[in-house]
Amino acid sequence: MIQIDNVSFSYDLGKTNVLRNISLDIPEKKVTSFIGPSGCGKSTLLRCLNRMNDLVETSRVTTGEIRIMDKNINAKDVDAIELRKNIGMVFQKYNPFPKSIYDNVAYGLRIQGIKKKDILDAAVEKALRGAALWDEVKDRLKDSALGLSGGQQQRLCIARTTAVQPKIILMDEPCSALDPIATAKVEELITELRNDYTIVIVTHSMQQASRISDKTAFFYLGELIEYADTDTIFQNPAQKQTEDYISGRFG
Amino acid sequence: MDTKGHILTEFDDALTSLKKNTIAIGTLAQKNLENALSGLTQRDTALCNQVIADDEEVDQLEMQIDNDSLQVMAKFRPFASDLRMVISSMKITHNLERISDHAVSIAKRSRKIIKNSEIDEISYIEPAYHQALKMLQISLQSYSDSSTELALEVLSMDTDLSKFHKQATKTYTKRLEEPCDHYKTYLNLVFIVRWIERVGDLATNIAEDVIFMQSAQDIRHGGDLED
Ligand SMILES: Nc1ncnc2c1ncn2[C@@H]1O[C@H](COP(=O)(O)OP(=O)(O)OP(=O)(O)O)[C@@H](O)[C@H]1O
Ligand SMILES: [Mg+2]
Repeated sequence: MIQIDNVSFSYDLGKTNVLRNISLDIPEKKVTSFIGPSGCGKSTLLRCLNRMNDLVETSRVTTGEIRIMDKNINAKDVDAIELRKNIGMVFQKYNPFPKSIYDNVAYGLRIQGIKKKDILDAAVEKALRGAALWDEVKDRLKDSALGLSGGQQQRLCIARTTAVQPKIILMDEPCSALDPIATAKVEELITELRNDYTIVIVTHSMQQASRISDKTAFFYLGELIEYADTDTIFQNPAQKQTEDYISGRFG
Repeated sequence: MDTKGHILTEFDDALTSLKKNTIAIGTLAQKNLENALSGLTQRDTALCNQVIADDEEVDQLEMQIDNDSLQVMAKFRPFASDLRMVISSMKITHNLERISDHAVSIAKRSRKIIKNSEIDEISYIEPAYHQALKMLQISLQSYSDSSTELALEVLSMDTDLSKFHKQATKTYTKRLEEPCDHYKTYLNLVFIVRWIERVGDLATNIAEDVIFMQSAQDIRHGGDLED
């Protein structure tokens, strides 16, 4: 689904590479976790996948290429906006728009030019049901999204992302601001979304990575140290650095 | 375990204490086995009674280790080799508790044997006993040294143990085939040598647990150890 092929990445026109020679294949309709200590480049790599780093003018992919559905996403003819239609992103700090619950979910569809009320209604309901939020909000769709609890806001952001039916969903620490119950709900949701989407998630929680992901990649100082089935990473990793990190040993 | 300490020293302390207690229960189980056999060969009823009393301590320690292991898992959520270390310690403890139970069974039979007159053929259990005891000692050493080599050595000793077990059993059943004064004693000895063989099997289980702890490979039920 996503092939990352010998990718190096720099924020300063190639003076320093914060990612070095990363290669990994992310499978379709599976959950892949990125783990590793702070600053190792997890978010950077995630943002490479939907070209969010384009926003930093001096940023460059300095070696290698990223192919999504067999297309080099940094090729000249690929439009970043077009690319992002297929790739939704959910952030650590849930960020609903200061609009109604309904408008938040309908937002992406309206951008795509969909205006018909019955189509929008159906898509909003489907996305909210998919995010396990429908029952909690169906009677107050017109209320402001900001009136929801943190966990509900994060699930709303997921619904907003899935409403436009992307192929891939990127999540950068989606539960770090949530309590354990809200976290469990989001995790359950991720597990269900796996049936329809390819999910890449950055997390600092080893428990979370081991619970929800099929594949896990461990990064350290800009390098990919180990990439394997999640069970292998957490039960019997091949690399000592991986074991030390997941076991909470001095790095 | 690893040379590198955990960021939480409390986690290191908990694992160290788990290991210490597992070794302690091993020492007790081994002592009980040795006392049961000394009780028999030296015709010492007091020593046999002591084995039965000391088994209490083994049971207590087993419960404590189970409890501590649960605590470690709930509190520190161990992964990879740490997790295997906790699981293996629980399993090893369970095997040791059963070894101590067998020592109790041996001690109880020995008390009966001692009540009857002495026979020379008691010495036929000795090859099996020494083999089983050695297997237990080496399996405990393999756990405390985290040594796969020692564990493999235990596995290689099982064939001889079976041989010694068969020889002793054959000797005693042969005696039982003819009318004799000591048939109760021979029968009890058949039981005892059977428990001794079980001790060897349990030592083999311990060795397999150590191999799993060290290499994450399950070699039970015919699995082979890869490099
Ligand atoms: N916009 C930026 N401009 C310049 N450097 C950046 C930028 N964003 C990140 N970096 C640097 O790139 C490196 C990797 O950062 P990144 O945010 O990808 O790490 P991370 O693994 O996501 O860390 P964390 O777990 O703390 O979120 C760091 O050295 C960071 O300082
Ligand atoms: Mg990050």
